[in-house]
Amino acid sequence: MQEEQDFIKELLNPKTQNDAFQKLLRQYQRPLYSHIRTIVLNHDDTDDVLQNTFIKVFRNLQNFKRESKLFSWMYRIATNEAISFITSKAKRNGMTSEAFQQKQIENIKADSYFEGDEIQLKLQKAVALLPEKQQLVFKMKYFQELKYEEISEILGTSVGGLKASYFHAVKKIEEYVTRN
Amino acid sequence: MKDFKLDNHPKINSGFQVPDSYFDSFPDKVMMQLPEKESKVISIFRNKKVWITSAAAVLILALMIPFFNPSTVEEPQLDSTAIENYLSYNTNISQYELANLLDKNDLEKLETDINIEDKTIEDILISNNNFENYIID
Repeated sequence: MQEEQDFIKELLNPKTQNDAFQKLLRQYQRPLYSHIRTIVLNHDDTDDVLQNTFIKVFRNLQNFKRESKLFSWMYRIATNEAISFITSKAKRNGMTSEAFQQKQIENIKADSYFEGDEIQLKLQKAVALLPEKQQLVFKMKYFQELKYEEISEILGTSVGGLKASYFHAVKKIEEYVTRN
Repeated sequence: MKDFKLDNHPKINSGFQVPDSYFDSFPDKVMMQLPEKESKVISIFRNKKVWITSAAAVLILALMIPFFNPSTVEEPQLDSTAIENYLSYNTNISQYELANLLDKNDLEKLETDINIEDKTIEDILISNNNFENYIID
């Protein structure tokens, strides 16, 4: 905890800010990339959203409330940026977010940065059919392997609520994969 | 058909791939987009409005320059006829004074062959009361 407090001080101090921020970038770029990618699905969009996320983090460092962890705060920003991105892209295409994501998944085999086998593809399709909240919880728990407590901090949902969401998500996925 | 159970199945990865060396260059890509540290002295010229207003002021001044310059337009050349007419109609110079201004060359130029009948000369002399002027000493 103290280590994090010291790091936050470095991030807020103009003299040490640049070096500290570069350290932050190197530490969180991969997990945040994975998190965003599971939501927006293709690499180029993920690259855009990831950049926007870090820029937003930089701009809002002064507003960071130290009650929450740096990690949760950044993940929350990443999640919001990714969902906003999907929503506006879906809107531009005249679709709901869910319909848009399903369409993205149908085309995912053509994506040069997707090398999934049959089961991976089926799983992606099954997840895309879930309601938005369940999708998010499933992706964070299953693909990102975050703890329920961490997900709770990021999404602001209770651990109990998250467990229920995850349970329902898994059931639906299993039904889909069994049928298909 | 065997039911698919997620927990019983080995971990299924997302299938997403990342381009090679993407993460090597990503931090620099972001750092380049961050705002530069603002110096304490804020030049007024950083303000776009100042530039636009200054440019407008310079443009207005530039347009007004012709009005302040003395006219360098060439005066129209006055022909001798116009000058003569002006002198005859607008001044109180007598013919005597004008004649004094003429030199020998001018007089030669003025000489023309006039073919006038004697009758016409008689008429002029009769009508003109100052015929003594015509008597050459």
